[in-house]
Amino acid sequence: MSKSKLQVTVIEADSPFKLLDIRELISYRDLIITMSWRDLRVKYAQTFIGFLWALINPLFSLLILHFIFGRVIQVDTGGVPHLVFTMIGLSIWTYFSTLVSESGNSILSNQNMIKKIYFPKIILPLSKALTGLVDYIIALILLIVVMIYVDYTPSSHIVYVPFFLFMTIFTGITAGIWISAMTVRYRDFKFVVPFILQLGLYASPIAYSSEMVPESYQFLYHCNPLVGIIEGLRWSLTGIGSLNNSVWYTIISIGIFFIVGLWLFRRVEHKMADIL
Amino acid sequence: MMSNSEIAIRVEDLSKKYTIGSQQEDRLRYALSNLWKDQKTEEIWALRDVSFEIKKGEVVGIIGRNGAGKSTLLKILSKITKPTSGRAILYGRVASLLEVGTGFHHELTGRENIYLNGNLLGLSRQEIKLRFDEIIDFSGVEKFIDTPVKHYSSGMYVRLAFSVAAHLNPEILLVDEVLAVGDYEFQQKCLGKMDDVAKSGRTVLLVSHNLAALKTLCQSYLYFDHGRMMEKSIDFDFQYNVAQSNSRALLQSVNNRLFLDTNNDLRLELQRNQSRLELISFIIIYIRNSRNEVMYKFNTKKSINAKLLEFSSEKKLEFNLKSVSLYSGTYSLSYEAYNEKSKIIESNRLATLEVLKKDKWEPQLKEGVRSEYTFIMRQK
Repeated sequence: MSKSKLQVTVIEADSPFKLLDIRELISYRDLIITMSWRDLRVKYAQTFIGFLWALINPLFSLLILHFIFGRVIQVDTGGVPHLVFTMIGLSIWTYFSTLVSESGNSILSNQNMIKKIYFPKIILPLSKALTGLVDYIIALILLIVVMIYVDYTPSSHIVYVPFFLFMTIFTGITAGIWISAMTVRYRDFKFVVPFILQLGLYASPIAYSSEMVPESYQFLYHCNPLVGIIEGLRWSLTGIGSLNNSVWYTIISIGIFFIVGLWLFRRVEHKMADIL
Repeated sequence: MMSNSEIAIRVEDLSKKYTIGSQQEDRLRYALSNLWKDQKTEEIWALRDVSFEIKKGEVVGIIGRNGAGKSTLLKILSKITKPTSGRAILYGRVASLLEVGTGFHHELTGRENIYLNGNLLGLSRQEIKLRFDEIIDFSGVEKFIDTPVKHYSSGMYVRLAFSVAAHLNPEILLVDEVLAVGDYEFQQKCLGKMDDVAKSGRTVLLVSHNLAALKTLCQSYLYFDHGRMMEKSIDFDFQYNVAQSNSRALLQSVNNRLFLDTNNDLRLELQRNQSRLELISFIIIYIRNSRNEVMYKFNTKKSINAKLLEFSSEKKLEFNLKSVSLYSGTYSLSYEAYNEKSKIIESNRLATLEVLKKDKWEPQLKEGVRSEYTFIMRQK
């Protein structure tokens, strides 16, 4: 073992404020992986059909949304089969909603750890984001299956797909950080989460097109960062719609949300052991 | 002040304040109501202006009653909570073990838990891999390593958890009351491991109510009371020796001696001062609690061998008080000496006893080391 450099730790009441200690985070990278492995194992350990649940959930949502919006209301999809249209939005929503509903608990359910061992707490929402990736990948596989099923050929914009997948993950992480910080600070926040999920499901263009939203509501509607991402992924896969300024708007707003979220998280992080 | 190269831990004026009632903060209502009125809160200093230095390779025990600030100190040193003021500097890689088995998940197998716990304690996957066999060897649960730990006995669970922590190989090890777990045999193994750690030149800071264990491991002690660090010397001059075959606590003051043996029997030796020459007929020994209520009374008149008349300066008088059982707290030990006419001729407070009883939830230790009571003797 190398003993060349002596590690010096200074503990003070007011240590310099750092938004994110990347070096420390890297040294704990294995923990992020083992924690999400643990969550996955625990999540599916005692269920009868295990991982199949991760497939059944989005499939069931897809069928409901397709029936209501595709068959009953018959929304205009610009010529894209409604199943494909919906599954694109749903894949993003699946990942986002998983993180929103589970991040709040990520801190609370690990409070014993927080009180007894030091580690960067940001690992908790980050490992949730990694765990959620499994659901996300399954939803994306479902998307591919649906596209094959209805024999749909994606547009030439497909090269932009990775960017929007990345943006989805980034948005999910941002939401996770926000919600875990808020839940620690205000326990009541866990009752707000179901509202966010309900609102988000309808206020995002998952099963309908954002063009259907009246002009006067467009600005408010685009305040939801998911709108830009879902539109973007849909554009890159089907070619419908256009990649206008709303994408830039989304990127910038998520960037700001991310930084504010980190700041909020940092502020409660050092108090966690005392207030939990 | 010592030079930096010799020092492992330097603590300067460290204080920690807790605000009672601050759990209120986590409610929206509190945040809202706080906008126009101040909420009443109570402040408690868990640690107050604590300063000390610990040299490299030293094994230091921290003792004091419950709530004295010991655990708070370790929490600050292991970065779990921030101090309110002051600072601490630690030179070297720090590992803290404030609880055995933190982060263990009952659904995961022993193997998975080793990796999880190891990562949590700051080891990389690679480092754990290198020590994996050693960890399993030490724990003695290799047969069940791929069984979920929920099927483990509590003993196996603790053994595995301690093994991971014991193989951290840090330069500074902070340990809080983790020796109170496991059976006697495993405890000895843990002590041995800690001793190895200490002998290899690492620094260990150890909180324990098990003074027997501290005695065998530590070179010095820090004594805490109500968040403050007390002077090590006069107030706190105890000797504790369990290593000997008869296994007893030995406390010493000027003339009077106090013993506590394994059955909670308190042995007391009194020696009279030379100046007092009046004959004594009988003696009553009292143990009183902080409200001055008598908790224990022993009257020599009622016992058979009461030949106290010869109690002179040369002779020691030995008392054996059976099954003294006291809750944690501060007690005073005093005696009254009576003459033949049952008149008090001497009355003296002998010592202040501080009983550090183990918390109820902690498992009882098996025979061998038994230290439910620790008597700390202060001067009169």
